[in-house]
Amino acid sequence: MSDTRVIAVKNVRKSYGGFLAVNGLSFDVDKTECFGLLGPNGAGKTTMMKMIYGMAIRDPHSDGSISVFGYDPLYDELKIKNLCGVVPQEDNLDIELNVVENLDVFCRFYGMSKSATRDRIDYLLDLMELTDKRDSKIKALSGGMKRRLIIARALVNQPKLLILDEPTTGLDPQVRHVIWNKLRAMKKLDMTILLTTHYMEEAFQLCDRLIIMDGGKKMMEGNPQRLLKDNMEHYVLELKSAGSFGKVEGFLKETAANIGSTTEAATKEGVTDKAGNDEGAFGEAVNAETETDETETIEAETDEAASKKAVIRVEHMEEIVYVYSNDPEVLQKAVCLLKGEDYYLRQSNLEDLFLKTTGRALANAQ
Amino acid sequence: MPNNPPSFLTRVFAIWHRHVRVYNKFLLSNGLPPFLEPLIFLAGIGLGLGRYIPSMGGVSYVRFLASGLIITAAMWTASFECTFGTFIRMEFGKVYDGMLAAPISVRDMLISEILWAGTKGLFFSSAVLFIMFVFRVLPVSITVLVPFVGFLTGMMFGAISLFVTSFVRNIQYFNFFFTGFLTPMFFFSGVLFPVENLPKAVRPIAEIVPLTHSVRLSRALCNGVFTPDLVIDLLYIVAATFVFGYFAIKRLRRRLID
Ligand SMILES: Nc1ncnc2c1ncn2[C@@H]1O[C@H](COP(=O)(O)OP(=O)(O)OP(=O)(O)O)[C@@H](O)[C@H]1O
Ligand SMILES: [Mg+2]
Repeated sequence: MSDTRVIAVKNVRKSYGGFLAVNGLSFDVDKTECFGLLGPNGAGKTTMMKMIYGMAIRDPHSDGSISVFGYDPLYDELKIKNLCGVVPQEDNLDIELNVVENLDVFCRFYGMSKSATRDRIDYLLDLMELTDKRDSKIKALSGGMKRRLIIARALVNQPKLLILDEPTTGLDPQVRHVIWNKLRAMKKLDMTILLTTHYMEEAFQLCDRLIIMDGGKKMMEGNPQRLLKDNMEHYVLELKSAGSFGKVEGFLKETAANIGSTTEAATKEGVTDKAGNDEGAFGEAVNAETETDETETIEAETDEAASKKAVIRVEHMEEIVYVYSNDPEVLQKAVCLLKGEDYYLRQSNLEDLFLKTTGRALANAQ
Repeated sequence: MPNNPPSFLTRVFAIWHRHVRVYNKFLLSNGLPPFLEPLIFLAGIGLGLGRYIPSMGGVSYVRFLASGLIITAAMWTASFECTFGTFIRMEFGKVYDGMLAAPISVRDMLISEILWAGTKGLFFSSAVLFIMFVFRVLPVSITVLVPFVGFLTGMMFGAISLFVTSFVRNIQYFNFFFTGFLTPMFFFSGVLFPVENLPKAVRPIAEIVPLTHSVRLSRALCNGVFTPDLVIDLLYIVAATFVFGYFAIKRLRRRLID
């Protein structure tokens, strides 16, 4: 195969008794790329991953397909698994065996020779900084150690594709950063990585490309920096109470009015349905899914970037009010009006985009 | 890019090896009972009941019973392994999920479970046989082949137990299998007395249940008396292992793979 795609997923569906967990998903992962699957709980990330290594069977229909290294998991499950390493969402170490035995047993699963097994285990224990836990029982390991051991186990066969389902959930920042560094090192070794995470920072740090999915569907796809740049206002002003917002509301309205507000949303491309509720200048655009959660848009054209309209978008989440804009000066001026009230002015991040895309309120599946 | 997953035998024995390893971790607590149980049996039956029943089926009662208990030891251990053991590995420890991420299929894994059940059957019946040799209940002769029947019995009950496990959602339900099927079978399969002594109406049941056929093979080897219909017993065991194994794999695959 001459093409550089390691994974090609096309229009894949998976249902559990009438419920569509994955609904027409398509994406490609290139060689040595780190690709992220993001999405709220129940979005279908784990299900998608399982279909890739044969632990779940996609719904049969003619136009859906999965190809991993050119193999279809329906028919060549073993060949795919021979080239993959898998870190599952739930720890599934063999608690009847100790640390080194867990790795040893896995090496046998790949038919590795005794000497290759010995070298590989020594290397992996060293890599994951577990050498002094070599003979420990699994129950005696901390959460972070277990996770590192599972990653080590996923690496015994020097996989070409590493599948990581929430590798760092529940781990402290030190461990998380250690794992990130190891994964970056893996990428340099020509490894392709498929990753899910709920830590936007993690996705931002590691992923070359990602998709944000919700309800089994793809909402967005791209490089994290680019996605953020293209789909999200650059700055956020967080106000801790509706009272604070009252103090700046007039100014924001006026500012928007002063520089001329328009009714057209400027930041919509790439954002599909759910997030696309920024119609109407300062209109009461209520999120279709929720009632606590409303989004308003105040739009203004700044002098220097007349072509790209500056937008002020306001979002209420219970008491907290978020004011988004590409223009830091407008937000800075608003801050001056607050006079000692609590606020937080910062650059927007992937988490803001994630929430914008998938909504702030809980859906049933979560 | 050459990409050759390990061969079928490598895969099956890699898992078998894992089970052996886990078993050997508790060598004392796992390895002693198989020898203790026949000792207790000899003390209880040999000194007690044996004195009231001097002979059965043409041999001393102790010897008659011994040839059956070699087999039931294999049956019990294989059945526990592939019911409670399998269920725990599948549902609680998620050990199977770990294995299935390696180049191993559900079929490889379950065949290995059956093979492991057979191995335990072999070991347990060897232990009983060993004690019987030591106390001169059985002669050292062609009887050394009885553990092979223990192996086949272990595989058969491994397969049957996996099939049962494929229906079980709550670990408590295994009690039905043990007290509702295995224990009654113990009384109607020629272990305690020859099935020929059963009332006519019950005889067919004895021929249907699997244990009867294993016991018959064992007894033939223990007594050195062979008849052509033993081939049927052997075929029964092989067929039952394949049929139950086949359906167990089919059903458990659906449970393990979403
Ligand atoms: N075996 C199953 N049987 C029935 N429903 C299932 C099964 N596995 C997953 N689901 C459902 O499919 C949906 C997607 O689940 P999945 O585990 O893929 O989500 P996820 O994106 O990984 O979520 P999380 O972030 O919580 O891990 C959920 O609504 C879940 O309840
Ligand atoms: Mg998941």
